[in-house]
Amino acid sequence: MRLHRRPFLIGLGAAALPLAAQGQEEPRRAERWADLRHALFGDRTVEDAGESLAIEAPPRALDAAAVPVSLSLAPELVPQVRTIHLVIDENPSPLAAVFRAGPAGDLRALSTRIRVNAYTYLHAVAETAEGRLLQAARFIKAAGGCSAPMGTDLEAARKRMGRMRFAMPEGAPAPDQAVPVQIAVSHPNTSGLQIDQLTRLSIPAEFIQTLQVSYREQEVMTVEGDISIAENPSFGFTLAGKPGGELRVEAEDNKGRRFTGRWQLGMAG
Amino acid sequence: MIGRRALLLALAAAPPARAATLPPATDGVVEVAPGLFVLPGVHEEASAANLDAIANTGFVIGEAAVAVVDPGGSHAHGLRLRRAIEARSRLPIRHLVLTHVHPDHVMGAAAFADLRPEVIGHARLPEALAQRAGFYEAMLAREMGAAAAGSAPLPPTRLVEDRLALDLGGRVLECRAHPPAHTTADLTLLDRASGTLWLSDLLFVERIPSLDGNLLGWLRELAALRLEPAGRAVPGHGPAAVPWPAAAAPLERYLTALRDDTRAAIAAGIGLAEAPARVATAEAAHWQLAELYHGRNVTVAYRQLEWE
Repeated sequence: MRLHRRPFLIGLGAAALPLAAQGQEEPRRAERWADLRHALFGDRTVEDAGESLAIEAPPRALDAAAVPVSLSLAPELVPQVRTIHLVIDENPSPLAAVFRAGPAGDLRALSTRIRVNAYTYLHAVAETAEGRLLQAARFIKAAGGCSAPMGTDLEAARKRMGRMRFAMPEGAPAPDQAVPVQIAVSHPNTSGLQIDQLTRLSIPAEFIQTLQVSYREQEVMTVEGDISIAENPSFGFTLAGKPGGELRVEAEDNKGRRFTGRWQLGMAG
Repeated sequence: MIGRRALLLALAAAPPARAATLPPATDGVVEVAPGLFVLPGVHEEASAANLDAIANTGFVIGEAAVAVVDPGGSHAHGLRLRRAIEARSRLPIRHLVLTHVHPDHVMGAAAFADLRPEVIGHARLPEALAQRAGFYEAMLAREMGAAAAGSAPLPPTRLVEDRLALDLGGRVLECRAHPPAHTTADLTLLDRASGTLWLSDLLFVERIPSLDGNLLGWLRELAALRLEPAGRAVPGHGPAAVPWPAAAAPLERYLTALRDDTRAAIAAGIGLAEAPARVATAEAAHWQLAELYHGRNVTVAYRQLEWE
């Protein structure tokens, strides 16, 4: 599914550009989130998640173009939550990613790296199978991440486009033991807001739009990505299941390029 | 305490200071070699109190002209440097060298605008300035308030692709453009007459280095710069002058640890979020302001090395 609401959300971004005075910042931020929430979820009730959905991010980003963010669900919510939306309120395209659990996976612990354009709230909204919406928020100080120059030069990045990295630092999964997995796709994931070093023209937005993870031919998770995901999109999740199977990652960017990665996961221990 | 020990060694190894035989300068400027002057910065972050005078800036006086090397971090800082020049020479300030894009080195340029100097920079400096000057101006206004007024870089009018000989009359400064190292647009100068290598931020002493270019490139450039015919270097941060190449050792040790530990973290599956607290922390502890910059350095190194 395309993130079809993007043009509307970009419109909101433009409207909010003139910055309110410092004292009016909090009401303005609250209003912005109310607008975004309405754009994404209409009039549906969104409850506060309290302790059951946590967002972790550095309070002050070390690199606004690649801010590590992780999301975690309380154990009792894990079986119920099938979708999590990640929103960066003040970014030009606020809906950064939508994570969907597949039949063979869950969303108990997710991570990625995002671009952050201005001091902003991050919002995560979890949706349960029966349609409950639960929100969590975290404020983050970072600026300039969307238009920051590429971390590496674009030509080198294009040459290795599609290469994938995989890490399973705690070893292989077991049927009753979910282990952390990190995958990353080499892709410039350009935002459309960066400037070419030589021509001074904007670099067109080219970004990973969908990334699907499966294990033993069963879908674990799908991510719908956007320009707010940092260069070389990187995602962390957990995987449970019999060891010895094949983990498969299929990614597609907005230009229709497809990339595939496959790893044979060893026996546990 | 490697950083401090290196400083003590540097002081011990330095030739008898000329300053000791001259009346001490009241404006803080140090003549590190005949006609080559440095105004040392403080190891702090930009503030209204320090006028963003946190980097070493200075000037070189020839027989026909004066060249400014980095006009400072704010209009006020640039003005202080300009007064120091005017107190020592009546020659025209004809050249303004911008060693790289960082605000503590370039934002004082506006204080020299009326002199219409030739502004010299790395071939990639205009692009770096275009991308960042606006951001830096806003940042300086936030950190310094009214004290930031008037601060701005000047656009380069003469670009260095590789090398440039800058003739000040009877004295030639050899400018050299480097591949990405500390930043993507670093320029250094060699004053062959006095054996002084003006390294600016390719050399940090005491204050923790900041990595904004290419980690492996910086190590390569340092190794090559060690061979230059100079017994003295002017660091971008640290004392006005240090013995060369001895003073490169702590920086090389830090960058090497950053490289090796980051590679090890990547290999062990330690994520970008966890790496800053686990990579090269023992080496970082030797440097001032490590708490502000080390984590950022690890983040930059990690993103460069994870796709090796």
